Amino acid sequence: MLTPAELVWLLAAVAKGDEAAFERLYAATRAKLFGVVIRILRRQDLAEEVIQEAYVKIWNSAGQFNPGVASPITWMASIARNRAIDVVRKRSETSIEEEPAAMEVAADTPDPLARQEMTEELKRLLECVGRLEPDRQKLVLLAYYNGWSREQLATKFEAPVNTVKTWLRRSMMDIRECLGLT
Amino acid sequence: MMAYSEDHIALAAEYALGTLSAEERVQVETMMSVDKDFAAVVEAWERKLGVLNQMVGLVEPRPEVWEKIRVAIGLAGTQEAIVHPEAPQPVAAAAVVAEQPAIDRSTLDRSNVIDFSVQAKRWRGVATGMTAIAAMLVALIAVQAYRPELLPAGLRPKAAQQVVQAPAPVAPPAAAQSQYVALLQTDAASPAFILTVDAATKNFTVRKVGAEPQAGKSYELWIVSDKLQRPRSLGVIGSNDFTSRAALAAYDPDVVNQATYAVTVEPEGGSPTGAATGPIVFTGKLIETVPPAR
Repeated sequence: MLTPAELVWLLAAVAKGDEAAFERLYAATRAKLFGVVIRILRRQDLAEEVIQEAYVKIWNSAGQFNPGVASPITWMASIARNRAIDVVRKRSETSIEEEPAAMEVAADTPDPLARQEMTEELKRLLECVGRLEPDRQKLVLLAYYNGWSREQLATKFEAPVNTVKTWLRRSMMDIRECLGLT
Repeated sequence: MMAYSEDHIALAAEYALGTLSAEERVQVETMMSVDKDFAAVVEAWERKLGVLNQMVGLVEPRPEVWEKIRVAIGLAGTQEAIVHPEAPQPVAAAAVVAEQPAIDRSTLDRSNVIDFSVQAKRWRGVATGMTAIAAMLVALIAVQAYRPELLPAGLRPKAAQQVVQAPAPVAPPAAAQSQYVALLQTDAASPAFILTVDAATKNFTVRKVGAEPQAGKSYELWIVSDKLQRPRSLGVIGSNDFTSRAALAAYDPDVVNQATYAVTVEPEGGSPTGAATGPIVFTGKLIETVPPAR
């Protein structure tokens, strides 16, 4: 993985239509973005489609990236993850949850514990998540990492959907307060 | 920035978390497109939560994915006959689309002498004049390139069966693995060490973040659990920025996950007795950061 500064530079070049920069950007970030979406989609084919769409969007909207506000990888991962969530929500509404093609996927290399990448922001967030009750911690992290819907969380936690909704809301508000967000 | 109600903020947060329904997601996206300030609230949440992705492991997509991205954005090099068994080459897909209008035309207009150059020109004119059709063609090409099985047989690109290149091996999915992390600290504001444990291998890594070295002393890490008779040493930590060990391998996953991890100050090199002798300076419990996929 390149440094955030290098990624910012590449994104700026991509915004000007630099194809070589785009290829380098892809090489440097594809495994992270694919890792994010395949956890959510749990199917190779869907994850590949989502990752294609995400990079097309990154190519088209690189000029909108604001390095003063977000880190490049966070910005790119948000694009890919949002697309993955959209796909998984639409699919779950047509109830194809238990497709035989669905497979177990996980990181093939547990990221070397994210050595260079564990930022102050992550530490702060984990601290705030860690202050939630253990069940709520799990709720929030399952939602984020696996893209689970309220319904799936309700099944997992054996609670009514409306209760899960309240828990999620409360948890997010607690995190907000802990982080000092306005 | 204007003040939003707690309902709005919760909606923004849940959008970023990903738990909204498809309908609610569309609602939020619509609100974002008409209200820049609300968009900023959502994006702030995306950034705050986005750091969680630092804990997600890397998974390589297949090489075909890059080829498809190149095709989709029209990068140079896509005119080459790059053929993959599962990814029909784009030129072939486009050719099938081009044939389609020609068939329609001939059925409408059999009596005409077919002049290929005129015909081609006319279709070019139709295509550029009718963006809706152009968009449909793009969509069709996209479907043919990515999901040929969705199309009726006649519209499917011919499978490139002659190709002998083997498909790129897909990494066999490993069993779902969790990672656990504990902040070892005296108070919330100042973590001294970050302990990460890989659930599958039980290897742990301790990263020194805020702990100050103490002259003539060593930090020693202990696992403390009501399922264990007494705290057990996991070794001396903190002499380097990172300490990785397999010392948890002998413990039950339940013990590892539920235990409290404590750091004591010991004589240089660690406790001489095998039991903690110094004061506990930092403690923490593991939280699951990358839960299993199901």
